[in-house]
Amino acid sequence: MRRRIVAVVTAAALVGTAALFGGTPGATAKSPKTLTMATAQIKTFNPFTSFYDSESAILTAIYPTLVQYDSKLNPVPYLAESWTQSPDHLTWTFKIRQGLKWTDNQPITAKDAAWTFNLIMTNDDAATSNGSLLENFVSVAAPDDSTLIIKTKAPQANMLYTSITGSSIAIVPQHIWESKVKGLKDYLNNSYPVVGYGPWILTGYKPDQFATLEANKNYYDGPPKVDRLILQYFKSDDAAIAALESGQISAAWNIPATGYKTLQSAKNVMAYQQVASRWTGVEINPGAKTRTGKPMGTGNPILADAQVRLAMAYALDRETLVKKVLNGLGTPGQSYVPPAYTQWAWKPSPDEAVTFDPAKANQILDSAGYTKKGDYRVDPKTHKQLAFRLGTHADDANDQQIAPYLVGWFKAVGIKLTLQPQSFSGLNDNLAKGDWDLLMDGWGTSADPTYLLSIQTCGTLPKDDGSGGNTDAFFCDPEYDKLFKEQTAQFDVKQRAATIGKMQDILYKANADIMFYNNNILWAVRTDKVANFRTGQPDASGSYPVQTLFISWKQATPVGGKSSSSAGLWIGIGIAVVVVVAAGAFFTLRRRSTAAERE
Amino acid sequence: MADPVAAGLAGEVADAVASPAGPRWYRSGFWPYLASKLTGAVISFLVMLVIGFTIFNVMPADPVSALTRSHPTSPAQMAALRKQLGVDLPVWHRFLNFVGHTLTGNLGDSWQYHQSVSSLIADRLWPTVLLIGSSTVISVVLGLWLGIRSGWRHGSVFDRLSSGISLTLWSVPTFWLGLILLVLFTVGAGPIPSGLFPAAGMSTPGYQGSWLGQVGDTAHHLVLPCLTLVLVIFAQYVTIMRSSIIDELGSPYLLTARAKGLRDDEVRRRHAVPNALLPSVTVIFLQLGTLLAGAITVETVYSWPGLGFLTFQALQIPDLPLLEGTFVVLSGSVIVMNLLADLLYRVLDPRVRAQ
Repeated sequence: MRRRIVAVVTAAALVGTAALFGGTPGATAKSPKTLTMATAQIKTFNPFTSFYDSESAILTAIYPTLVQYDSKLNPVPYLAESWTQSPDHLTWTFKIRQGLKWTDNQPITAKDAAWTFNLIMTNDDAATSNGSLLENFVSVAAPDDSTLIIKTKAPQANMLYTSITGSSIAIVPQHIWESKVKGLKDYLNNSYPVVGYGPWILTGYKPDQFATLEANKNYYDGPPKVDRLILQYFKSDDAAIAALESGQISAAWNIPATGYKTLQSAKNVMAYQQVASRWTGVEINPGAKTRTGKPMGTGNPILADAQVRLAMAYALDRETLVKKVLNGLGTPGQSYVPPAYTQWAWKPSPDEAVTFDPAKANQILDSAGYTKKGDYRVDPKTHKQLAFRLGTHADDANDQQIAPYLVGWFKAVGIKLTLQPQSFSGLNDNLAKGDWDLLMDGWGTSADPTYLLSIQTCGTLPKDDGSGGNTDAFFCDPEYDKLFKEQTAQFDVKQRAATIGKMQDILYKANADIMFYNNNILWAVRTDKVANFRTGQPDASGSYPVQTLFISWKQATPVGGKSSSSAGLWIGIGIAVVVVVAAGAFFTLRRRSTAAERE
Repeated sequence: MADPVAAGLAGEVADAVASPAGPRWYRSGFWPYLASKLTGAVISFLVMLVIGFTIFNVMPADPVSALTRSHPTSPAQMAALRKQLGVDLPVWHRFLNFVGHTLTGNLGDSWQYHQSVSSLIADRLWPTVLLIGSSTVISVVLGLWLGIRSGWRHGSVFDRLSSGISLTLWSVPTFWLGLILLVLFTVGAGPIPSGLFPAAGMSTPGYQGSWLGQVGDTAHHLVLPCLTLVLVIFAQYVTIMRSSIIDELGSPYLLTARAKGLRDDEVRRRHAVPNALLPSVTVIFLQLGTLLAGAITVETVYSWPGLGFLTFQALQIPDLPLLEGTFVVLSGSVIVMNLLADLLYRVLDPRVRAQ
């Protein structure tokens, strides 16, 4: 009798749960075509307080910008159909595309754009994220619904990069955000669906888990090819790689080099590299000082000698770093502006190009008068050893891998390095105070290199009280500053590129920042789930041109074939097992309690 | 400083002698016991607040440069941000804010999330409680059961197997085990098919099922993290229970019980186990208190949206309000669990009641 009861219970449990979970996610024919991609962490959807690239990628996909990048990274019309400048370049007139509607059917006009810009210019909280982009703006006005007039203090060549897809200022609907200005600082913009305009509509977000976006069928340029975009957050790279390998996500990027090698041989996975938009290197304290020239910090004065820094540049083997640290997935560093942006491409002339040449490094130091005493060289004037501190980021695996190489290479030319691993904030603290000799450094940039170039100007040095500084390496050269000012007003791209080239040359020769390598962006995409994600043609080394997520997301095409979801069945089986175990436990206990009677 | 417990005892004895006919609730000694334990807990909490604040403010903290690292920000902007976040306030001012905030429950605003710390913690509390709760229940049941069986027949093959396996699993790093299980059951290996379990999160993105279906979905996501935690911590309960049972084995009262005619099972269940349970209770509560923070590696591997990872995130900037807030919650939970263990002891063990 008991056995029959157990059998009936088990059968009922199995049937019931299988029925309940038979039709679980993704198994029906009408399920939306979905692109699931791994993303970095998202903390807010408020475009006025957002700092992270992962957030701005979403924000400029759900809110319009004046211009967008085309597939070759050129600024082309988006919300602004066309634009003209006054002869003195101080007034820009944008013609705003008419007939577009926010997702709540209110019309999008130039007034929304003017309101957004003015809010950032007048409200401190709104300026948190992008206020620095509008420092050169005098006024923004919308005399009518289709005209936006921007007046600047000085000619601004990079005006179009102020509001462009992927970064910078997204234009928000005035009628929605007017009431949010009061509590703007804490407003997360988390009532879904978010009222905006773009190829996507933000329809949901689970903190620290995923964001869901639906394709906007009314997008002026045609809706995206997939119906739904899910951006899932993985806290560990290994989990993202496992998810890609098992087909739970369709694309992932910024994959670590080790994972990339695994994915190259995985089934149905296309692993590829994009040209680097970052560089990693070391910065050398050329003599930290304030804006007025007052020396500050405990930097070793020997490093102010440009010959010492030049010798250090010759002592480094960049090829080895690319091979050993990046597993070959990058290029040796040379130019200050990363190679992803071909319009700013620059190479040192053959006679000034630095190679791995310890003999030359030794020769330079010998000629400069630093004689060897034992293993290390000594400064002839102070008799102090050429011993310097190298600060590294304690939590950065690459930094920790590179550091021992530097110690060895510098020893070979008679320079002593002491490693000082620090936290990110600790390192920045010391940097700002000038208490450093050498520090590991790395920067990236978008297609407009203005900010990257600005951190090497004298204007970013700190004030005499130590505050107000934003310098990268305390580099200060009046000639560099002059060129920087020039390029801000050069509207011809080739002209601007030439000036920026001269600036890169100055930095290259100064060696306040020595480039190690440019690490390629590593991507992996499931070929059985999505096509058309990758764009462009590979270069000689097989790396693809860098591309904005805006374009990749829009043109990604779902690949046919139902996604098999056995998950539901497994849930059902799991629950059936639990029920059976519970039933078993129940009957065992009952039997046990009556054992005395049976005895 | 006078021992509050001894003082309570002395008071009790004096009262019992002086007025044997006093009200029962006072003579029972529970309230002095509770009062003394509560006082101890409150003092610990306040000391913890001071220590926590000191440690976090000794760390170099310029959150603004960390926050704006990858974003074009002018020095003027950074100065404005510093002012907005209150980074430049003097230390004593921040300490007063901190204490005031903690006592009123308003833990300040996170510098990187732009929302209140209490709402951040509230959002992530349930996932952590779910994970910790389920893994604790399963590992307690499993560990105690194995411990009882092993201890009762210590030296047997079962004993050796269970002790060996549990200790091996305990010495395995949680992170590593988590990664192995993740790869094994997500990517699949050998006979195990691919895609058995999800690789991240607490729910499937875009899932539109019924309420019951959603519970099932969460359960499906919970399996691997819970399994990882269970495998790593159940050994503690096995060991503690096993040694307690072995301690009890030679006791005369068990001989009496057997002489009365009770079966072996009943002797074990009704007499040996309750007495052997006490040390395990202590361990369970201690473990619960610390597990809240200890699950961080599991939460990271499985991208489980819980408190542990929030604490780790707070360290990154460093996001001082968030760090202080999570510190208060996590240390507070240890103190509360200790207090509960003390009170439960009084219920479980008549010898404590008689004190």
